Amino acid sequence: MKRTLALVPILLLALAGLAAAQTRGGTLTAAWAQEPVGLDPHIVSAQSSYQVLENVLDTLVTLDAEQNVVPSLAHDWVVADDGLSVTFHLREGVRFSNGKELSAEHVVAVFERILDPETGSGNAWRLAGVESVTAPDAATVVFELAAPNPSLLGKLALDKALGIFDPAGVADGSINTRPIGTGPFMIADYQPGTRVLLERNPNYWEEGLPYLDAVDIRIIGDETVRRTALITGDIDWVFSVPPQSVEELDARDDVVIDAAAAGAYYYIGVNMMDGPLADVRVRQAISYAINRDNAAAAAEFGSAMVTQDPIPSTSSWDFSYAPYDYDPERARQLLAEAGYPDGFEMEIMPNSVMANTVRAAQVIQSDLAAVGIDASIRALEWAEWLQEQGDGNYDTYVCSWNGMVDPDEFFYAQHRTGEVFNFTGYSNPTVDELLDEARVLPDPDARRDLYEQVNRAIVDEAPYIYLYNPLVIHAYRPDVQGFETRADQAVRFVRTWLDR
Amino acid sequence: MSLSYLLRRLGSVLLVLFGVSLVTFAIIPLLPGSPARVTLGVQATPAAVATLERQMGLDRPLPVQYVSWVGGILTRGDFGTSLISRQPIAGEVTRRVPATLTLALAALLVGLAIALPAGILAALKPGSPRDLGVSLFSQLGVSVPDFWMGILLILLFSETLGWLPSSGYRPLSDGLAPFLQHITLPALTAGIISGAIMTRFVRSALLEVLNQDYVRTAHAKGLPRRKVMRKHVLRNASISIVTIVGLQMATLLSAVVVVEIIFAWPGLGQLALTATLQRDYPALQAAVLLSAVAFTVINLLTDLSYTFLDPRVSYT
Repeated sequence: MKRTLALVPILLLALAGLAAAQTRGGTLTAAWAQEPVGLDPHIVSAQSSYQVLENVLDTLVTLDAEQNVVPSLAHDWVVADDGLSVTFHLREGVRFSNGKELSAEHVVAVFERILDPETGSGNAWRLAGVESVTAPDAATVVFELAAPNPSLLGKLALDKALGIFDPAGVADGSINTRPIGTGPFMIADYQPGTRVLLERNPNYWEEGLPYLDAVDIRIIGDETVRRTALITGDIDWVFSVPPQSVEELDARDDVVIDAAAAGAYYYIGVNMMDGPLADVRVRQAISYAINRDNAAAAAEFGSAMVTQDPIPSTSSWDFSYAPYDYDPERARQLLAEAGYPDGFEMEIMPNSVMANTVRAAQVIQSDLAAVGIDASIRALEWAEWLQEQGDGNYDTYVCSWNGMVDPDEFFYAQHRTGEVFNFTGYSNPTVDELLDEARVLPDPDARRDLYEQVNRAIVDEAPYIYLYNPLVIHAYRPDVQGFETRADQAVRFVRTWLDR
Repeated sequence: MSLSYLLRRLGSVLLVLFGVSLVTFAIIPLLPGSPARVTLGVQATPAAVATLERQMGLDRPLPVQYVSWVGGILTRGDFGTSLISRQPIAGEVTRRVPATLTLALAALLVGLAIALPAGILAALKPGSPRDLGVSLFSQLGVSVPDFWMGILLILLFSETLGWLPSSGYRPLSDGLAPFLQHITLPALTAGIISGAIMTRFVRSALLEVLNQDYVRTAHAKGLPRRKVMRKHVLRNASISIVTIVGLQMATLLSAVVVVEIIFAWPGLGQLALTATLQRDYPALQAAVLLSAVAFTVINLLTDLSYTFLDPRVSYT
């Protein structure tokens, strides 16, 4: 990882910057690549929405930069001895940005809404197994669980889908554009497609924070324009830069490239319902046939770490199981064993919004051709891609899962039999049992053993063919201080300040 | 021009708009994908998709949806609610119309500033090196894609020279200087291309008139060149020129889509593109309907202007 090494001096500089006195005030102009798709935390799924909410809402517990669960709105919590309930004690004196004091009733109302099927939340699955959320008093919230759930805290902390907002905004509809939270900033202006203006929350509970007066978020869709706007100083901070520009920008004095390994992976999802792809040997052959270094180089211009299993090597849950080193000979042999010595025809479905998936698909296509598999590429725009993937109309697709910390998030919803995001049709009763058991085990070492077995089985049976773990890359002007690029991809400006 | 003619024309405009509304309404939901899925992303459970589609009113039969949509527009000026931001679309559109109109107008001015002098110069000496130069320029301008031209201008004027901001919109109410700084590059991008197109039309319109007998006669009877140009040539060529200017204005209103995207210009084109990608049906329908209104109205105005330019034209 040449790039990460090159970033060390920058990180040191950033630390030196933190030691300097923070200046209060100023407006940070930030550029998002995509516009938020609404701002109701229970409904949205887009990164562009969550990263706005990241600065507006707080969760009961949150993740620090090292991805440990730490207090946020709850100053502490107690898991019952039988594991069947978790009691959160709320921080005192927390106010919403509209001045209303936060009480346990608000928290309960928020969780009741997301659990209500009528809300139509795509995020309710994170609370699977939560039987009730109650408030015995104004400062206490109790989660009753059907079974012990060690990953619950991680899920509550993960992103702002489970953030706490003033439930009054549901009735008047303002939840869609201006959810009222307890976070460091509040939404002062939301103009779909152009701008979200965040202003300092005067009631924020952490003393002296945030440093910035405001964050002015612009939507600049074109990557060249985004890059130019950063170089010329029209904007101070950009969500993402074109991967092909990372090296060039890194070399400049007037731009800081800040990268971290993401809790995310790119993969090929295989429709294993029927045809050649239903044969495990064929899927393994594909996995052997792919030169992951080339795929990552084409897709991310090298800003990625190739992998053969989902969890990145920077995580404490890393297993580094890698049976599929590039071996076209072995791939041909497996294809012959499966009865396809002359290969077969199949389709790869990347989506054109994520240009990196299209580039990866092109490399994969030529690697597959080398072992006799005639793959065609069908690149679809996002809305159509979602439809086709959801309907199972594909042979293979290229996509990513993002923002994951706990191993349960890497495996359960994607691979357990009949789970909602199991699009491949994978079903292995042993894996199901292991997954069910691992998610309720309190002992981390015992969980690790189980997930290691799960990881091995899934990599071996290859419903997903893992390609690489991406880096989160943000770029900003050198006078932007105190910003931290995080593995969970959260964009938090609470401690950011401007040295000007 | 008679009142009954005007009424008939207005009637046909309404008929066209009705047709457009019907066609867009029928076609747009045929796009694969659904707004509920876009909202939910890869985490879409079938139950959540169904619930959201019901909340969005998409489970109703199309004719019912159409009637309630048209009814809302006619009775309350209500274009419905965005399925994505859940904001009233009428407000969204109103906010964006000025941005698009100013950009299209500015681009038209840039285009005319190029096309009129260049077209006249070329037409006066056809076949001369000057004419060839103009032809070359207009051929180049017609061939250059707008997104490429926009990025070239940004790289030159924003990045290299540092003269102008690379993107964004400031309304005139923010002051003349910031307004001009922000509108210059997008207006140049759309205007140069539009100017190149119009140059060819201005040139051929003038050439046609210049070859007429009455122009030769005017010269022969000893009228000064200036007077011949002004009174005989330009006046007679004006009908063709106004036609192409009207068409260009209408075209620009939709052609600025790409320019709006590149320069992060908060106009209708951007709204239409986002609405398409997110399958925000009502927003897309509103955008399509509005550009149909603009097109038909501009065509009508162009036709009506002929009566003022040419006294022989009268509509009955």
